Amino acid sequence: MNRPTVGIFGLSGCAGDQLVILDCEDELLDLVCLLDVRDFLMASSDNDETCHLDIAFVEGAVLSRRDATRLARIRERCEHLVAIGTCAVWGGVAAMDRDADRDQIITTLYGETGRTYDTSPAQALHELVEVDCAISGCPIEKEQFLGAVADLLNGNPPLQPTYPVCTECKMRETACLLLRQGSTCLGPITLGGCDARCPVLGIPCVGCRGPVDDANTRAALAMFRELGVPAEAVARKLRTFAPVAIVAAPHGGDR
Amino acid sequence: MSTRILIEHLARVEGHGGVFVELDGDRVARVELSIFEGLRLLEGLLRGRSYEDVAPIVSRICAICSVAHTVTSLRATERAFGVTPSPQTELLRDLLFRGENIESHALHIFLLALPDYVGAPAATAVPEQWQASVALGLQLKKLGNLIQQTVGGRAIHPVNAVLGGFGALPTIDQLLSLRDALVQGAADAQAALDALCALPDVGGCEADRQVAALIPPGPYGYYGGGEIAIARNGTQQRVRADEYRVLAAERSVPHSHAKHSLFGGEPFMVGALARLTVNRERLTPAAAAAAQRLALKLPSRNPLDNNKAQAVELVLDIDHATRTVERLLERELRPEPPPTVHPRAASGTAVSEAPRGLLAHSYTYDDHGRIVAADVVTPTALNAASVERDLRRAVEQRTTEDLDGLRRQLEIIVRAYDPCISCSVHVVQKRHAV
Repeated sequence: MNRPTVGIFGLSGCAGDQLVILDCEDELLDLVCLLDVRDFLMASSDNDETCHLDIAFVEGAVLSRRDATRLARIRERCEHLVAIGTCAVWGGVAAMDRDADRDQIITTLYGETGRTYDTSPAQALHELVEVDCAISGCPIEKEQFLGAVADLLNGNPPLQPTYPVCTECKMRETACLLLRQGSTCLGPITLGGCDARCPVLGIPCVGCRGPVDDANTRAALAMFRELGVPAEAVARKLRTFAPVAIVAAPHGGDR
Repeated sequence: MSTRILIEHLARVEGHGGVFVELDGDRVARVELSIFEGLRLLEGLLRGRSYEDVAPIVSRICAICSVAHTVTSLRATERAFGVTPSPQTELLRDLLFRGENIESHALHIFLLALPDYVGAPAATAVPEQWQASVALGLQLKKLGNLIQQTVGGRAIHPVNAVLGGFGALPTIDQLLSLRDALVQGAADAQAALDALCALPDVGGCEADRQVAALIPPGPYGYYGGGEIAIARNGTQQRVRADEYRVLAAERSVPHSHAKHSLFGGEPFMVGALARLTVNRERLTPAAAAAAQRLALKLPSRNPLDNNKAQAVELVLDIDHATRTVERLLERELRPEPPPTVHPRAASGTAVSEAPRGLLAHSYTYDDHGRIVAADVVTPTALNAASVERDLRRAVEQRTTEDLDGLRRQLEIIVRAYDPCISCSVHVVQKRHAV
């Protein structure tokens, strides 16, 4: 693709994935030479809100009618829709208890006025529109974003990791937090690409990148049970960042 | 005849917000900062969660302030369970906050605000003479991120800060690299100041203002502190940080469904300008010189001075961070196993200064260490009333009837507050009024 037209959008979230793009301090000025960024509200006050886009990067989950309308509009005007970040890919933290009584939470937090707000349970992008490529992570890793840009520029589908955090953790020769310490480390079933960022610091994986494609959740649950980790604690952790994935795999993702 | 100005979607700010102004002849009938960020209800979803899960979840309230949210959350939980972090942990946390402040301020000054002063839509499209300043800003931003990566394990949503301490400590080599980067950063900041001093005056508005900021326990900083100072016209009142709710006292306003934070019946401003106003005796010599070069007079009447105040803090943070890193190199970091945490039914509150101002986290736990109630008060929510009042002043004090010009002025004023709208919905939710 020769200098594709690009839009960078945020739905409801923490703006962390757009911030990762702005955190490409050494590459930012080159990026705007390679990409014709037409619509990036967080960084520019001169945006073309209607033009066709070769690539749209979208972060955040859909949490309102307004978000849903924006997403539908972005889908209509773009060739490649790239979901960036765990919220866009899996719903993220706002989706952690999608079945909770939202009305009750809203009235507790915002009073009766809350009932008038435009709000709906968090949804990942793929639940509403077709997504061409997903870069997960909370936030995404800078290198994977830049790699995806390079792939798209060369006309290739962006390659993303297909292995779990565990693989990278072993490659870094980290002492296993799960087997050695019995921590609730979600490394075996979480998508890699972070270079085992947390386990190498001695911090158990919380699953912020969502599940790896062929996660054997059933085997992981059995292992946690053997290690004496309460099932409730595991379920809670699994629900935190990628609840949509758990719903999508009612049989525990065992393939 | 009624005239309306609508900024549907504010640009170059974090999150989703807009501005609506209605003029009835010469009278300003309505001024609203509308916020239409989706409700993620994280405080509500926290209920029933274990204390171990809380900090990584609340970190996701906001990426730009994720250190402030994470560490303030940890401190609130530690206070509930009677955990006292070691001096080494406190020092590293202080450094982590400075890293976030440097990154956030460099992002705001050079990428989000600077374009307003040089007539460009974005930092990547500034006239040639300003490109070097943007490049300097990016280097300073990178320095802030390097501190956050070194101490926090990641530039956004720090993973290494845990209850009572850190997962892993920075290595000597990392600290030495950081020291070199800080030395370069100090020089970059001075060069950037030269550029900022040459920026044209772009207006703003004039008004007496009440400001609120945490009194730091030691040197000028953002982490820790037991008292909040509220200053106005040279007089100061203090409230205990635990009683932060006094500031978040919400009042319904007739022009919208929003509730506003007031103190003594008046809006107040939080953030870098408020901190400098309250703590100006604590500036380092380099920071005081920076304030002088930028002709920043305190107390200030113009919200645009918040941009200058952030530049002063950049200089100050690089100064302090350098000293902290040198201290860490001298005394050598010692591994400290995180203290054992004994959950109990208790409440804990912690107040910090996020880059944009006062931030409070307060939790109540049950016997098993599960959240019974969580309250998060964010700086952008506290600032909402002050932003609206300044917008009103700007409309009242307008010197032109050119609506596009006025619209630009209003945008510049909102942006000077460096609003973080993802954060703001965690107390104030406003309806789009059009």
